[in-house]
Amino acid sequence: MLAYATRKLLISIPVLFFATLVAFLLVATVDPIAEQRVFLLSQPGGAEQVARLEASLGLDKPLVERYGTWLGDLARGDMGSSTENGRAVTTLLGEAIPVTLRLVVAATVISVVFGVAVGVVSAVRKYSVFDNVSTFFAFLFFAMPVFWLGAVLKDLGIRFNDWWGRRIFFTIGEQSPRLDADFWGTWADRAGHIILPALTLILIQLAATSRFQRSAMLDVLESDYVRTARAKGVPRHRVVTRHALRNALLPVVSYTGLTFGTLIGGTVVTEVVFNWQGMGRLFLDSLLDGDVAVSQGWLLAVGVSVIAVNLLTDLVYGLLDPRVRHG
Amino acid sequence: MSTGGAVPSDPATGSATWQPDSTAILSVRDLKVDFVTDDGVVQAVRGVSWDVYEGEVLAIAGESGSGKSVSVLAAMGLLPPDARVSGSISHRGRELLGMPEKQLERLRGSAMSMVFQDPMTSLNPVMSVGDQIAEGARVHRKLRRKPARERAVELLDLVGIADAARRVDAYPHEFSGGMRQRAMIAMAIANDPDVLIADEPTTALDVTIQAQILDVLERARQAVDSALILITHDLGVVARTAHRLFVMYAGRTAETGMVDDVFEHPAHPYTAGLLAAIPRLDTPRGRRLIPIEGSPPSMLSPPPGCAFQPRCGRASDLCPKNPPPPLMLVSVPSHYSACHHPLTPLQTPIAEDSDV
Ligand SMILES: Nc1ncnc2c1ncn2[C@@H]1O[C@H](COP(=O)(O)OP(=O)(O)OP(=O)(O)O)[C@@H](O)[C@H]1O
Ligand SMILES: [Mg+2]
Repeated sequence: MLAYATRKLLISIPVLFFATLVAFLLVATVDPIAEQRVFLLSQPGGAEQVARLEASLGLDKPLVERYGTWLGDLARGDMGSSTENGRAVTTLLGEAIPVTLRLVVAATVISVVFGVAVGVVSAVRKYSVFDNVSTFFAFLFFAMPVFWLGAVLKDLGIRFNDWWGRRIFFTIGEQSPRLDADFWGTWADRAGHIILPALTLILIQLAATSRFQRSAMLDVLESDYVRTARAKGVPRHRVVTRHALRNALLPVVSYTGLTFGTLIGGTVVTEVVFNWQGMGRLFLDSLLDGDVAVSQGWLLAVGVSVIAVNLLTDLVYGLLDPRVRHG
Repeated sequence: MSTGGAVPSDPATGSATWQPDSTAILSVRDLKVDFVTDDGVVQAVRGVSWDVYEGEVLAIAGESGSGKSVSVLAAMGLLPPDARVSGSISHRGRELLGMPEKQLERLRGSAMSMVFQDPMTSLNPVMSVGDQIAEGARVHRKLRRKPARERAVELLDLVGIADAARRVDAYPHEFSGGMRQRAMIAMAIANDPDVLIADEPTTALDVTIQAQILDVLERARQAVDSALILITHDLGVVARTAHRLFVMYAGRTAETGMVDDVFEHPAHPYTAGLLAAIPRLDTPRGRRLIPIEGSPPSMLSPPPGCAFQPRCGRASDLCPKNPPPPLMLVSVPSHYSACHHPLTPLQTPIAEDSDV
């Protein structure tokens, strides 16, 4: 296992470098002063102003040199600063990441746990009422666009609050502004805020995960080794948990790793719907403002998280499957 | 019917008592199995009866699709839930059909156990071989981890896995096909079953190790002193290992009797055809092996009457009309055949109302 883990870790290093290159190029190849350029060049003496502007942003240097400089700064923990408000990108990310992480971790953990459970029960009780109902909802939520489901839940939350006469579900922001509470009070407030956005992501992820788990489980239940286990007289519940589930988790683990990127996309949308000040907001603002350093920093942070999650799923896979860790 | 009284036998079942004082461990009576599929009803087994007696080796032979696997899976209670099973299967007098799953689980892997055809897919890839062998002992004998593991080492050693104490922690992918089948055999005898079922245990293996695995199976059987039901296509294997033979054709009994009797005087043209197709050391050089012409019928719509009749050189007008019942041979009372035109004479059918 140690050799396997080391190998996976070493493979991540070149991937990480590649991610820095992509993050840099995606943004650097877009002209941040395209509009000014058109305007200035139509003015007398505009060419000089453009040149000065380019020099101040470092745009006059060749791409390779700019990448080198950017990477060097990055190694020193300097990701540049926002052209909009002058704040350091590391500070901005430092504020946004914990907010988004809360949402992503909650949604992933809950949707995987429930998705696996629903999928297993659906497979074991194929065509039962439970299976049919869960199939119906899985397709319903799977077919829903994230922004729409978010908007529906937000609306339902507001109606519920009105009916109940008290605010249970918060629909704006990740926590109440100017909240002055102790540790538990803060977390209670955050919980009230996270329910609806997390539910938005959970329902969609859960739909996919449960379908995936169901079909993996059905395949495994038909397998020869499950028949062998039954031929040994292993009780049914033990056949399901000890023999079938462990094998049927393998494709779901890969799936969860592979769709992490999609989850990030869903998170950006959800954060916008519920006005969270997290990574989603940060990215959207940086795009709208043409804030190069922030966009690059954001892409890099997300790239690193995708690599980390894939590393994690590889390790879990290795723990579950001896063929992989010995291979 | 002069011999009818001398040896106790059951004309309805087509099987005779193998030794006067031995007891039947597994008795199958008029077993029928249907599968309802999108194409129609597959009549996989259409009324077979047989017994397995203590300590004997019963071979079940027949071409592909004749219902061999389905018959034994029915006995193990391992058919898919959509299979329609009727008749009777009893283990030491206890009816297994309709038995609650919990009780069946207690018999499976302890009183009756099974070795499957394909060792490459029959072992759980994510569980160590030792854990899979020990599991039977843990489930049935409530052994704790350590003694169960010791039992696994002991069993691996018995089936000829070298360095068993170390290999016990290996995973199936670290074993060759032959080693995996040895592990399957170890698993099957873990709780001293009184009947062991092996469904074509060597078909998926390399020819060079098939004989070894059959030896291991026989050694394992003797170690636990169980009966063995050996399903095989290979009548050469039957001649070497089995006491009694049951030949199936299209879900029905074709012929059954002691191996020597059947080999010497096959009564059914199908059995004779199978025998003519075995390569033998005493076959004169130059004589070709004659496979039976044609192929087995589809069990979606088997031919009426005797199912073998379309492929049979001896068939008459009678054959497509009535399915022949299994009848005792005139010469050998423990030998039965189901044929209207047998190669050796059969006794006349017993009238329904006469005493048996
Ligand atoms: N689950 C099932 N659903 C539908 N038909 C089935 C099923 N299992 C078996 N059958 C059919 O039942 C018939 C008997 O199958 P069985 O597996 O018992 O044959 P067999 O004698 O063991 O042949 P082989 O030598 O190829 O193993 C075949 O026609 C097969 O297609
Ligand atoms: Mg078979």
